[in-house]
Amino acid sequence: MAKLVLAAGVPHPPRLVRDIAESPGKTKGEALMKQVRQYVEQAEPDVIIEVDSDHFVNFFYNNLPSFCVGMADEAEGPQETWCPMPRYVVRGHVPLAKALFKYGVHANFDLAAAHELRLDHSLVVPLHFLNPSMELPVVPIYTNGFAAPLPPATRCLSLGRMVRRFIEAWEGKERVALIASGCFAMDVGGPLRGWTDTEWMETISGLLIRGQYQALARRATEERIAAAGNNSGELLNWITVAGAVGKTRPLFLEGDEGSGYAVWKFD
Amino acid sequence: MSVYQVNKILYLTDNDAGFRKRIKDNPEDALKTFRLTKEELDALTSGAVGKLYQMGVHTFLLNHLYRYELFGVNRDNYLSRIREGLAYDPRFEQGKMPIQYFVKG
Repeated sequence: MAKLVLAAGVPHPPRLVRDIAESPGKTKGEALMKQVRQYVEQAEPDVIIEVDSDHFVNFFYNNLPSFCVGMADEAEGPQETWCPMPRYVVRGHVPLAKALFKYGVHANFDLAAAHELRLDHSLVVPLHFLNPSMELPVVPIYTNGFAAPLPPATRCLSLGRMVRRFIEAWEGKERVALIASGCFAMDVGGPLRGWTDTEWMETISGLLIRGQYQALARRATEERIAAAGNNSGELLNWITVAGAVGKTRPLFLEGDEGSGYAVWKFD
Repeated sequence: MSVYQVNKILYLTDNDAGFRKRIKDNPEDALKTFRLTKEELDALTSGAVGKLYQMGVHTFLLNHLYRYELFGVNRDNYLSRIREGLAYDPRFEQGKMPIQYFVKG
């Protein structure tokens, strides 16, 4: 039986990698990523399951699943040439990914499966900070956070609960870290670029800190998410992870602009 | 409305190095295989970001217009262009985040 040893949520701003290289020790994001990384190292995971939303790199409108499990042996990224950061080869964990896919489908989740992946910055930036040697294998779970209609947040919460049940039923002995990649509320190239919906940020943070994940999922309607800016669907990745943590509250949660950093521990 | 085709052009610009070179070097040739309405073709080739936005082109894909400096769009004019045709919104003044730095690909 495998075990969920840690859950975390971090954003994936590509500029953070460059900002840290240019001004080390100056950004809040650097300090928060280091803090999360320490918890990840202390938890000694064997594998990372990362919940993320692809930004039209692996998926496009020609074939765009609501939920997809990545089961490639390895994959490269970030693929975007404009992304100012190193490119990595990320190893997968095929047996675990296949078992998760099968478990999910049998549990009535209409998951897609991807045996080849082109990784975008949103998948790789968290790994750059939290798995820098890329030694830990990674199983991506993609949610469609951007191309409306989005999967309902309540469904994402259920997906997370299923992932937790899968981890505890899986025949392997792995220690699993579950990581959400994404912001809470942000606009990155729509007309409201740079504006932060602070009211929604505070609502999300408050509900997460109090462990009121179901209330958060009920309030995170597609309309509310859209009103907070074009990038705000990444909250679905956090809600998926929240579904997996059960009644556990985060050990810490810190906001930075439109993003949050959080850790849940289970040992 | 075949806005899908506009989305696809921008998707390929970011994800297909060969297509990216073609659309930068010879846009007329690169675009001729796509089924665009005249309105879409005019909006795209004149860099009318606001019009494309209102047609429903995805904002993540519109970003590639300034990242790859296509059709006269760049970091400095992108935001004012996407807001063309929209009513003034006080939130326009609240953005602190600069348009993203990019590496030319």
